[in-house]
Amino acid sequence: MMNYNINQNQLKIARNNDKYENSPQSHQLITTLNGSVTTSQTLSTTAAAFNNNINSSVSNNNNNVISSEDEISKKLPKEILLRILSYLDVVSLCRCAQVSKYWNILALDGSNWQKIDLFYFQLDIEGPVIENISQRCGGFLKYLSLKGCQSVGDKSIRTLAQHCRNIEHLDLTECKKISDAATDPLSKHCSKLTAISLESCSQITDLSLKALSDGCPNILEINVSWCNLISENGIEALARGCNKIKKFSSKGCKKVNDAALNALANFCPKIEVLNLHSCDTITDQSIRNISMHCPNLRQLCVSKCSEFTDQTLIALANYNPLLSTLEVAGCHQFTDIGFQSLGKNCKYLERMDLEECSQITDATLAHLATGCPSLEKLTLSHCELITDDGIRQLAAGSCAAESLSVLELDNCPLITDATLEHLTSCHNLQRIELYDCQLISRNAIRKLRAVLPNIKVHAYFAPVTPPVGGIVAGPGRPRYCRCCEIL
Amino acid sequence: MKTIKLQSSDGKIFDCDLAVAKCSGTIRTMLEDLEIDESSEDEIIPLPNVDGRILRKVIEYCNYHKDDPTPIATDNDDNKEKRTDDIISWDAEFLKVDQGTLFEIILAANYLDIANLLDVSCKTVANMLKNKTPDEIRKEFNIKNDFTPMEEEQVRRENTWCEEK
Repeated sequence: MMNYNINQNQLKIARNNDKYENSPQSHQLITTLNGSVTTSQTLSTTAAAFNNNINSSVSNNNNNVISSEDEISKKLPKEILLRILSYLDVVSLCRCAQVSKYWNILALDGSNWQKIDLFYFQLDIEGPVIENISQRCGGFLKYLSLKGCQSVGDKSIRTLAQHCRNIEHLDLTECKKISDAATDPLSKHCSKLTAISLESCSQITDLSLKALSDGCPNILEINVSWCNLISENGIEALARGCNKIKKFSSKGCKKVNDAALNALANFCPKIEVLNLHSCDTITDQSIRNISMHCPNLRQLCVSKCSEFTDQTLIALANYNPLLSTLEVAGCHQFTDIGFQSLGKNCKYLERMDLEECSQITDATLAHLATGCPSLEKLTLSHCELITDDGIRQLAAGSCAAESLSVLELDNCPLITDATLEHLTSCHNLQRIELYDCQLISRNAIRKLRAVLPNIKVHAYFAPVTPPVGGIVAGPGRPRYCRCCEIL
Repeated sequence: MKTIKLQSSDGKIFDCDLAVAKCSGTIRTMLEDLEIDESSEDEIIPLPNVDGRILRKVIEYCNYHKDDPTPIATDNDDNKEKRTDDIISWDAEFLKVDQGTLFEIILAANYLDIANLLDVSCKTVANMLKNKTPDEIRKEFNIKNDFTPMEEEQVRRENTWCEEK
C-alpha cells in the first residue's frame, strides 16, 4: 500500500518537474524584458539549453576537477549568466565584453543596459560611444543619463532615438552641443518618453518644444532651465500636446512670461511641481491662473520673480492647500498679509525659502507657527525685520518640537542671544545659519549646543579689532569660535 | 517537528525539517500539489536535478536561513540598487567552494527556487568578475579567447570609453 502511494507520488512529481524546470527565472526574464521578440526566442533556446545543462551537470557531478575549460559558460545557462552580469557596473560589463565571443554577446545583451548613467564618464563620452550603446541596447534602454556629456551631438541622439524607441527617461543636462535637430528624431521615434531634461542645452529653441509636443504626449517631467531661447510660443505648443505634465522647470528662461504660464495653466492641470526661478517678468495674474487650474500643485519656486505681490500668496492659499514647498527668495513685495493667508490654509508646508522677503515681520512667523505643523526647513536670510519675538513664537509653534530641522537666519541683524534660548525647544533642529548676526555671542551658541549636541551651527566671528596680542588671543589659541563648522 | 525526506539524483535520502524544506519554492509547490502536510507520513520527495553533495550544502544553507523574513517581492525591479557588497559573512564562508561547486549551487538554487541563495551565489560570481581586466577574467574562469586579433582590437576599441584615461 505504502509503496504504491510513493510511486504514484513520484509519478506526479516527475510530471510536475517539467513545469519546474522552466523555473521562476524564465518568468522573471520575460517580465523584465518586456517580451520583445528576439528575447522570447533566445529564451526558449536557453530554456532548452538549461535543461540540457542540468542533465549534464548531474551526470558530471563526480568529476570534481578544478575549473575545467570554460566551465562557467558550459555549466550555467545564459539566463543565469545574464543574472550574474546584472550585478555589474558599466565598466565591468565593458570588460566582460572583451573576454570572448560568447561573453561579448552576454555582456552586450540589452537586458544589462536598461538603465545607464554616464555622468561619471562625461568627458570620455563621444558620439560613437552613444551610437554603440544605442545599438547594443535597442528596445531595452529605458533610462539614460548623459548629464554633462558635452561632446554628444545631434547625430548621436538621432541614432539613439532610432534604436531605442522604448526610452522613457532621458537626461541631456549640459549636452551643450545638441540643437533642435536632436529633439526632432526623439519626437518621431520615442513616444514613450516620460521625462526629459534639456537643462542648459542653450541652443534648444521653441522648435524642440513643438516637436516634443507632437511626438511625445506622455511627457510627465520636462526641464528646459537655462534654455534662453525658449519663449511663450514653445511653451504653449508643449502645453497643448503634453497635457500630462506634472513637473515643469524653466529656471532662468527670461522669455517665459505670463502668456507661457497661462498656456500651462489651461492645458496642464496635473502640474505638481513648477520651477520658475528668475523668470522675472511673470506677474500675479498668471500664477493665480496656475493656482486655480492646477489644484495638485505641491512645489513652487518663483525665487527672483520680483513682480509678485501678496495676491500670489493669497491665490496659493485659496486654491493649493497641498502646497509643501514654496521658494520665494527675493520676492520683496510680499508682506505679512500674504503669509497670513498661507499660514491659515496651507497646513502641509514643509520647506519655505523666504530669503530677502524684506518686508515680512514677526507676524509672518506667528502665522506660520500656528498654521504649518510640518515645517522642516525655513529660510529667513536677509529678512531684516525679524526679531527675537518672532523666533519665540516660531519656537512655541506647532512645528517646533518635531518638524523644524533647518533654520537659516543669516543676516537677520536684530536677533540676539534670546533667539538661541527660544530655539532650545526645537529638539529636531539639525542646522542653523547665523552668519552676520552681529548680536549673537559665542557663549549663546555654546549653550545651544549643550542642549542640542548634534546641531550644526554656521557662524562667523570677525577677529577682535584691533587684534591685541597677548591676553585675549594667545599663541596657538584658535581665533574663531570652535563651534563653527565653516569659517 | 515534522521532517520529510528528500531524495537526491544519486539516490541519497536526506531527512529535513519541513520548515527548512519549505525555503524552496519548488518543494513548497510540490508539497501543496501532493497535499503533503504535518499529518502525512514518510513522504519522499525526489529531486532528480540535484545530487547529494549539493543537496547537503543547500539544506545546510536553508537550515541557517530558515527564520529569515521572506524577501518582499519587489515589483519594481528597475529601481533596485544592484549591490554586491552586502553578503553576510556566514554566506561568504558558506560559498567559499571551488567554482564547479559554486555553479552547481547556483543551478540547484535556481531549480529549487530559493531566492536568497540564488541571489547571494550569483553575487559571489559577480564579485569574481568585478575589477578585473578581460585577461584576468579569462584566467579566473579559464575562458578561451576566441577572437581573431582583428576582432579583439575592434572589441577593445568599442569598449575603452569606460576606462580611465
